[in-house]
Amino acid sequence: MTSMAGWGRRFGPLVSRMAAALFGGYALAALASVAALALPMSKPQAVLTGQMAGFAVYAGAVIWVFAVRSARRAWAGLLVVAAPLLVAAWPVW
Amino acid sequence: MIHLSSFILCLTGFAALAVAMDRQQHDLFGRSLPAPATASLRAGGAAALLGALGLLVAWQGWGLGLVMFSGHTSLGAGIVHGAIIGGLRMRAKARGG
Amino acid sequence: MKTDQDARPAGRGLRQSMSDLHSWVGLLLGWVLYAMFLTGTVSYFKDELSQWMRPELPAQIQVPDPAVVAQRIADELGTVAPGSPQWSLRLPDARNNSVYAFWRTAGAAPGQRAFGEGNFDAATGRTVTSRGTLGGDFFYRFHFQFHYMPVVWGRWIAGIAAMFMLVAIVSGVITHKKIFTDFFTFRWGRGQRSWLDAHNALSVFGLPFHAMITYTGLVTLMALYMPWGERAAIRTAAERQQLTAELSAFIQPGKPSGETAPLASVEDMVRQAQERWGRDNVGRVTATHAGDAAARVAVARGDGGRVSMSPQYLEFEGSTGRLLAVHEGVGAAAETRGVLYALHLGRFSDSVTRWLYFLVSLAGTAMVGTGLVMWIVKRRQKLPDPERPHVGFRVVERLNIAGIAGLSVAMTAFLWANRLLPVTLADRANWEIHGFFIVWALTLLHAVLRPAKKAWVEQLWLAAALLALLPVLNAVTTPRPFWHSLGAGDRVFAGMDAMCWALAGLHAALAVRTQRHQPKPRPARKPVREPVNGAVLREG
Repeated sequence: MTSMAGWGRRFGPLVSRMAAALFGGYALAALASVAALALPMSKPQAVLTGQMAGFAVYAGAVIWVFAVRSARRAWAGLLVVAAPLLVAAWPVW
Repeated sequence: MIHLSSFILCLTGFAALAVAMDRQQHDLFGRSLPAPATASLRAGGAAALLGALGLLVAWQGWGLGLVMFSGHTSLGAGIVHGAIIGGLRMRAKARGG
Repeated sequence: MKTDQDARPAGRGLRQSMSDLHSWVGLLLGWVLYAMFLTGTVSYFKDELSQWMRPELPAQIQVPDPAVVAQRIADELGTVAPGSPQWSLRLPDARNNSVYAFWRTAGAAPGQRAFGEGNFDAATGRTVTSRGTLGGDFFYRFHFQFHYMPVVWGRWIAGIAAMFMLVAIVSGVITHKKIFTDFFTFRWGRGQRSWLDAHNALSVFGLPFHAMITYTGLVTLMALYMPWGERAAIRTAAERQQLTAELSAFIQPGKPSGETAPLASVEDMVRQAQERWGRDNVGRVTATHAGDAAARVAVARGDGGRVSMSPQYLEFEGSTGRLLAVHEGVGAAAETRGVLYALHLGRFSDSVTRWLYFLVSLAGTAMVGTGLVMWIVKRRQKLPDPERPHVGFRVVERLNIAGIAGLSVAMTAFLWANRLLPVTLADRANWEIHGFFIVWALTLLHAVLRPAKKAWVEQLWLAAALLALLPVLNAVTTPRPFWHSLGAGDRVFAGMDAMCWALAGLHAALAVRTQRHQPKPRPARKPVREPVNGAVLREG
């Protein structure tokens, strides 16, 4: 048990960061691609804009996650960005 | 023909920019060049690159022109770099190093 | 080799984090990326490779008039695929010596093959037969969907790899801020330092290309990777059609009228397109319900003259040849996508630009390759006992050999298989591909069984030999040897032979250098203790 806990203390933050980067980053990108539908343009254009911008958001999120000082901050940053995107995406989802 | 002249411009441009760098000056001449010489090399190099860009854009428009420019600069920089390595190696060998 | 660990024992700065991220992200998908880069690089000559792999089709010295060819093949398709709801043909150009066409089969019952395809002779209009091969399309498809797995899985793997690449590029630039001030710096014979300099040089010179090719690669398949906006916004058939119209020159086959009416002159339609876009800049002719009064014909613009693949086409009424619509503009986002897509494929290139694409892309391949080797070089110096490296080290070391040198061997073996497998072999096209994978697996086996350095040297020499002898094999097995191609002005075959020799020289040079290489003795200082999650040496 103690060794499990030790392992968790040692690698927990790293695993958490990896999850934030892989899944959190993708979720943020997906959210941004839907939020793009709120842009003042026709639906096909908005869809394509969201798709193209999504990868930049994803890459930015991954860099952010590994650049900040702690795993908690990494998640917090993702959530802070996600909030306004969620507001924009809500009506169309 | 325009490809060739743009490529030569890129090559000379990067050669000038490389020689304008302090480390390369020490490697090649064993000392720093005087500041005015360095400045004019830098300006000349940048002008050559801009000239290549202008040539390609005037010929093929911005889209194709920029793509071609990007290719010529990459290749030109790579060749200049290779030439510097090769030159220094030959000199080192000649010195028996 | 200076480390910053002593300077900053506790805190892990941004560059340290980015350095870790870069080396682990790079390693995890490095071999996949290397294979994607190399097969993608040769795919810039996909059409030429396909020509070489179908030696039965004669060289095309002059491009025939596309308008005449379009009419000829349209007539032929009228007999090959009568009543087809849709057929489409790609006109010959400077890089294609046959006309490729595909069609939907009329009234195909469920479970029956609903599509047909074929290559046609531009001069006679007849179907041409050549050995069964996927040609250059194998490398092209492998580049983004691999093999032996469902296409969608492969594309997802390629997407994840591309995303890792994007992260590796950004984190690499942050890690090595000095790459721009260290421009043109190379320290010879300094072990890890030299590898790093080479890796940096290859990265920086091609940086615009590497960043572009990675991002645009993701864009080519973005509908698969980021479907969420589309799912939320596109709900009706009309909306779907609106979106499709922004992406491709595809005309929906409507309902046939049931009234027969012969197709008007396709040649005239193509002539109108030629006036607009140039004689050799008409790409594709698509007809729906040819032979019916409701027929429509779309004549699409070729790839030349603009960096975009957004749809541009003329739409004609099939029975009268009347121009119905000129489609020449799409929305800003769709145009952006068209530009990014075109940048990735580079089909707009003239031959000089194509070579630039090829060379810079080859530098990108070398960038990934040097990165993979560097991972090993860095860690070898820190091994407690270099004679008995730990398992992880050995796995990476062996996979590097098969992933880099072995891939060259396997790709060349694929071309050998194209010349050696009997033309009558059943399922021949697939056996060429099996050959590629069998040889690749053998190189991995060899890499595991032999000492690392010997394995590198032997595989590089093998690749060099296979490449150097490929023109000889071609001379023996086809009536198109080098001297003949040279005399006949056959640029594809002569170019291929010359290219093989050039690449053989490259592999031989690498083999010689590897052979001469003496690993530096371990530095006589105390090894630096490594932080838990595998921090690597700082480049300071």
